[in-house]
Amino acid sequence: MQTDQSFRDACKHSVSYPRNRETFPGPLGANTPFVAVADPLRARSHRAMGTEFAVYLDATDDVQAQACFDTVFDEIDRLELTFSRFRPSSELSRLNRHAGQGPVVTDPEVFQLLAFALDVSERTGGAFDITVGLLTRAWGFAERQPRIPDGRELAAAKELVGWRNVELDAEWRTVLFTRPGLELDLGAIAKGYAVDRAIEMLRSAGVSALIDAGSSSMAATSAAFASDWKVSVASPVNRPLTICEVELGERALSTSGVSAQSFVHEGRSYGHLIDPRDPVPERHATARQALQVTVLAPSSMLADALSTAMFVLGHEHGSAALAQFTDCSALWIYSDANGIKCMGHRWPGHDLLSLNTETHGQT
Amino acid sequence: MDRREFIGITAAGLGAVALGLQGCNSPHSIAPSDWVNVGVIGVGGRGQHMMRMLLRVPGVRITGLCDIYEPRFAEGRKVTGEQTAVYTEYRKLLEARDIDAVMVTTPLALHAEHVIAALDSGRPVYGEKSLGRTVEDCNRIREAVRRTGKIFQVGLQYHYAPWYQEALRCIGAGCIGKVTHIYACWHRNNSWRRPVPQGQEAQLERLLNWRLYREWSGGLLAELGSHQINFANAAFGAMPESAIASGGIDYWKDGREIPDNMQVIFRYPGGRTLEASYVTTNRLDGAQERIFGTGGSVVLTHTDATYFKEPSDPYSAVPPELAIQHKLITGPTYRAEQPYRGKGESANGGEPEDVDLLACREFIDCIRNKRRPKADEQVGWSEGVTVALGNRALEEGRRIVFAEYLGAA
Repeated sequence: MQTDQSFRDACKHSVSYPRNRETFPGPLGANTPFVAVADPLRARSHRAMGTEFAVYLDATDDVQAQACFDTVFDEIDRLELTFSRFRPSSELSRLNRHAGQGPVVTDPEVFQLLAFALDVSERTGGAFDITVGLLTRAWGFAERQPRIPDGRELAAAKELVGWRNVELDAEWRTVLFTRPGLELDLGAIAKGYAVDRAIEMLRSAGVSALIDAGSSSMAATSAAFASDWKVSVASPVNRPLTICEVELGERALSTSGVSAQSFVHEGRSYGHLIDPRDPVPERHATARQALQVTVLAPSSMLADALSTAMFVLGHEHGSAALAQFTDCSALWIYSDANGIKCMGHRWPGHDLLSLNTETHGQT
Repeated sequence: MDRREFIGITAAGLGAVALGLQGCNSPHSIAPSDWVNVGVIGVGGRGQHMMRMLLRVPGVRITGLCDIYEPRFAEGRKVTGEQTAVYTEYRKLLEARDIDAVMVTTPLALHAEHVIAALDSGRPVYGEKSLGRTVEDCNRIREAVRRTGKIFQVGLQYHYAPWYQEALRCIGAGCIGKVTHIYACWHRNNSWRRPVPQGQEAQLERLLNWRLYREWSGGLLAELGSHQINFANAAFGAMPESAIASGGIDYWKDGREIPDNMQVIFRYPGGRTLEASYVTTNRLDGAQERIFGTGGSVVLTHTDATYFKEPSDPYSAVPPELAIQHKLITGPTYRAEQPYRGKGESANGGEPEDVDLLACREFIDCIRNKRRPKADEQVGWSEGVTVALGNRALEEGRRIVFAEYLGAA
């Protein structure tokens, strides 16, 4: 069982377990109380895909738990080797190198993930876009050194970005970039897919589990404790506090926000979640920008993609887009003069969640 | 026939492998007659991974899946993306008419049976490493390849890694002097165990965790060390003359039968040594091969190679300024005995690609162009025999002399 600081810091949501009702580990932020996980639940974390994957298991014994951890972490590593844009030998890097010159055959797993991503792009009017990486890089967020890009750099990136510039041919299973120089970045979806794959493996082993991919997505599988996994959504402005509690069941949850990756320039705040359609990431510049969006969906991959899209779209347009996705709900958190305000789509009790400045702070 | 010819490996030959195979990524240029339908025997984790790699090669379909554990069929079909034909009996798969080539990714002890049957069916075969579990298995597979004349490629994928090829070229050209010693390690920190569905442990434990049981597995030396042994055999241009080994089940005492740590020392002709270490409780060193020559060293990892030139002055391995910077001054002998901490010269030798993809591309290219794979039956035989006799050294607790087992091989 790992209970070190990095593990605590990596967790965005808090998880509670019904047997003892203790909360562990805390939401983002070092001040969050952390309560060691009681037997028989076991927890372990693993660094991959630029985040910390925390796995909670209800295994029968230590041997079974160890086998589950090892298998899940191996699978997550395999997917990192497939989808990483930082590893030159990954399949994603191979596509980025060659798909601008002509159609490239890829395997069904990669093809289906790309097809899924483009489908979400279409259904969200391009708010979710796996070609946005060049813009993220122009703003320096990709290297975690954010900066204001010059006009020429921004224009060059805008020229290439656009999900419609990716052509998939299902008959031949090929990927083609109609604009050479375009690059795919699966950062907003691959972690969710990895969580889904890991959950699938644990489900087939008959193990009740919850997986939290640190900064974005989490999902649970349940054998005996279907309704037991409860997750608290953290406040975007005062991390130790929580907004609400969600009973995860066998669904997935993902939260997107820019509080962890943003910078201030000449009095304006800029965050890493860029609108591919209007690539100036101005956080708080207008009232329409949310502080944080949380999505519940049947799969972690979908929750991951939709939380990004819902952040970009905002409550009004996002609700319209979300209506196309069955069994998905979202909770937007905005700041207003009185503190923070929650707006939901199919989110139970969201109208009761408006919270005041006293408890959640002025943004 | 000299030693190099004897084991079928030359550094120069490897240097020419596979670099020209990257060009075609599109299926449109593949003639219908050049499409290759592959049947896979063994659809577990490794089999599924290799299927994904095969399906990245233009003009390849997976048309048959064989396994005795039925949940693998759904998993395999998910990998292929279609309702691929499934078989619980490998002979039935080999009777199918829509299969042009066979990939064998079954437990080690079954390699000989499955590979030989597939060769006898008249098809090219890709057989996972290690070649066979015993010397006898390795002999039988090599004999079957030669008897049938069919294409056979052993699953030693690092044989196709550009940085490995470049290191072998460099070593063959003498750029690190006379290579006297190779240290190889593959250190992990995990149990190597797969979860078994709850309530089915009695029926499924040995099937799903076959790597942990002697009946099926060659343990760490076969599953991990085979790649490093293959490299050492190529770099030395020879097979070992003898082996001694140590190891045991010392940490993961969970009912397994194969060691959770193992160290083997192989002695090669000419007083050269491969020292190999396998650990499952610490991953600081990871997987690497350190090749030591009188004029320099090469460190190989799964992604690159780093070259170090041996200082001409044996007492200047650590420059004084570096030693001071790292606070290494501990006594009068530090200059001679501290490890070198400077940077080497890094090289990866070509477009960085997944080595399993390179190996699959080579296999398909060999089928289409009717040529012999570089990682052929002889390469596999020298690796497989070395693994088998290294394991025997541990099992029998004594020094194994290879000539006593190989005869006139």
